[in-house]
Amino acid sequence: MSEDVRERTQEEKADRERRKIKSAGAMRELMTKYYLEAKGAEGTDRHIAWITSGAPVEPLIAFDVIPVYPENHGAMCGAAHMNVELCEVAEGRGFSRDLCSYARGDIGSAITKGGPIGGLPRPTFLVACNNICNTVFKWYEELARFFEVPLFIFDTPFVRGDLPEHLAAYSVRQMHEYVSFLEEMTAKEYDEARFMDVAAKSLFASALWKEVLACNEHRPAPMTCFDAFILMAPIVTLRGTQEVVDFYQGVLEEMKRRIEEGVGILPSERYRLLWDNIPVWYEMRNLGKLFMELETCLVADTYTSAWTFEGVDAEKPLESMARIYTEVYLNIDLERMADKIESLATRFGVDGMIMHSNRSCKPYSLGQYDLAKEFTRRTGKPALIIEADHTDSRWYDRAQIETRIRDFVENLLLPQT
Amino acid sequence: MCGDGYAAVAERRAMEVKTIVDECLELWRDPYPHLARLREEGERPVGVFCSYTPEEILHAAGLTPVRLMGAVRSLTHADAHLQAYCCSLARTDLDMALAGDLDYLEGAVFVQTCDTMMRLSDIWRRNTAFPYHGDLVLPIRMGEEVSLPFLEEEVKRFRRGVEEFAGQRIWDDALEESVHVYNRNRRLAERLYKARASGAIDGLSAMACLLAGFWMRREKHNEMLHELLERIEGAGAAAGEERVPLLVSGSVCTTPDLFELILELGADVVDDDLCCGHRYFDAFVDESSSPEEALAKRMWERVNCPAKHQCIEDRFQRLVRQVMDSGAKGVVFYLQSFCEPHLFDLPYLRQRLQEELEVPSLVLESELQSFSRGQLRTRLQAFIETITGV
Repeated sequence: MSEDVRERTQEEKADRERRKIKSAGAMRELMTKYYLEAKGAEGTDRHIAWITSGAPVEPLIAFDVIPVYPENHGAMCGAAHMNVELCEVAEGRGFSRDLCSYARGDIGSAITKGGPIGGLPRPTFLVACNNICNTVFKWYEELARFFEVPLFIFDTPFVRGDLPEHLAAYSVRQMHEYVSFLEEMTAKEYDEARFMDVAAKSLFASALWKEVLACNEHRPAPMTCFDAFILMAPIVTLRGTQEVVDFYQGVLEEMKRRIEEGVGILPSERYRLLWDNIPVWYEMRNLGKLFMELETCLVADTYTSAWTFEGVDAEKPLESMARIYTEVYLNIDLERMADKIESLATRFGVDGMIMHSNRSCKPYSLGQYDLAKEFTRRTGKPALIIEADHTDSRWYDRAQIETRIRDFVENLLLPQT
Repeated sequence: MCGDGYAAVAERRAMEVKTIVDECLELWRDPYPHLARLREEGERPVGVFCSYTPEEILHAAGLTPVRLMGAVRSLTHADAHLQAYCCSLARTDLDMALAGDLDYLEGAVFVQTCDTMMRLSDIWRRNTAFPYHGDLVLPIRMGEEVSLPFLEEEVKRFRRGVEEFAGQRIWDDALEESVHVYNRNRRLAERLYKARASGAIDGLSAMACLLAGFWMRREKHNEMLHELLERIEGAGAAAGEERVPLLVSGSVCTTPDLFELILELGADVVDDDLCCGHRYFDAFVDESSSPEEALAKRMWERVNCPAKHQCIEDRFQRLVRQVMDSGAKGVVFYLQSFCEPHLFDLPYLRQRLQEELEVPSLVLESELQSFSRGQLRTRLQAFIETITGV
């Protein structure tokens, strides 16, 4: 190797090191500690609840229950390329391949204790909220039969237009019911002061997360949404704790520093795109490389911002939280979704959008064809829809998808009709 | 009257029954030309997809609710709006609407049962130009105090939407009258099922006569069922070979093929757990309380669609009761491909039917855009043979 080349590779290495997001290490530590604690609690008298990603977790934290997220675990199994074998276990028990692969993988893992961390700790009860899909309550019914434990369903009917009062009232009634359910499960009394503290921390962490995501409005973007997919784990799983607040304060500082120093996540950022839907977990690395090669940064997405809550009334924390959880992104009509997409596109200055049509997620995916057209109509930017599945790689055609993405990016500069 | 007279009466009755059943079967095979004719005759049809639709409210407003259960067809328009991984009911119904094949409708009602229906409503509204579009959002928690007030409000909101479209109020007495008509229909349906259980009518004919009501004014259907029941009730079982009793569970049977094949293969449907069958007419609307509250209450306490929740065991317990009462020797699950609520329940229902009742089951998936009667036949035949031990 000549002196010249060696110098260049060393420079490149240093540059890569400079671009790396340092908070990722802190996140891994935080999540490892969380999973160790959760796994260690199995068989002790601590309560463990399996809970859906969009469900109100704050009451669990306030009751000292350890929340465990099969969806987060599913993402982990997917990223580790281990979810297909877990899905096959469930399929062997009669669960159709057309069911959500998070659910199939989770049922498989419950049976075999398979996956990168040897399965999740056994739950003492279950909490499912259908604000993200109606799959979850069927999936949790199966878990309730399998583990023979109680299931609480927080039912959030679909919101068309503005949230109607009778729907909000239904959510509020259930929030109170949820608290009573937890009192019964844990044999503890509801402590409002404790709940207020948890809610405040949750809100604070969520505000920090929102600020972190907003950092990507800057050019060059300090991270891609693939980084956000990784960094979002604590806001999904542990919001309401001080550690999460501290963690996102660290992330925010890092992002601000990157902006000041002009450190972008990509060596060169030519195009900026919006991502729609859950990540293709098993393909993040390859897609990441492809976008880097195409000098294209995925600067924002519709997924990670689902955990940026607003409008909690400190006087009525239970009530206002009930309303917030009912109006999340996947529980609103296409017009409201289009508004949200348009606002992200404008704020982040994107050149187009990539939509993951996710076989495993009907509420997220059905309607995307119409949303894509609406996006182009409103912004004049193109949209590409790719067919995949969030954790079942058997539905993924890499060659075809990479070709389509390349073509799409190459055509970005062409005027849109 | 002499003996010959009885025989002649019996023969005439049998002919009359056959005429009714044949008409119903024809409707079932392809209801759409008939729906277009309804419009020409001055009716105002509104499409409904779901057994939870409070049809009484539409009926009271002078509209005629008609059930859309998809169609066997290849898609020309829907693929531009819906992915291939949702059910063929949604895909073929949307396709018909976009192709202009349903232009005789005033519009359609979308009841939020599953994720597909919830999004289909938006897609339909955005891409069609029907004058009426109704939404009814349901809770998933049925039969629990916490959800009833919400459901009552939704029914009221739905009624206001219909009134707005109709341009006039729906008076309570008109609604009460419609409730009465539909309750009568439910009572007649119960009698029809009893007649089937007694062997006075076969499963195919009974289902055809029940379904016919989806595509006509309900008063007319009541009359028709009444005429039919007068002729078959008490007639006793028709003589003939012993048939293998089966129960069919699932969502809807868009075509009569499944029931026809079951008959052809020496079996018969003795009961069902279908949303176009037993689940459709289960439970009455209480005529002594306010109609909106009573309509909500019925939806809330009737047998669940698997897209709703009562307790984690309710579907199995009900299925067990039905299998025991009907004497079914096998269960055929007839589902839409990609129908998550049904697909999630399959493994436990099948396993427990086998383990606790020793009742075998078969799963058949329906995809209307690639419908194959031959395949259906092969699988049914093998299943029926395992039961008879041939």
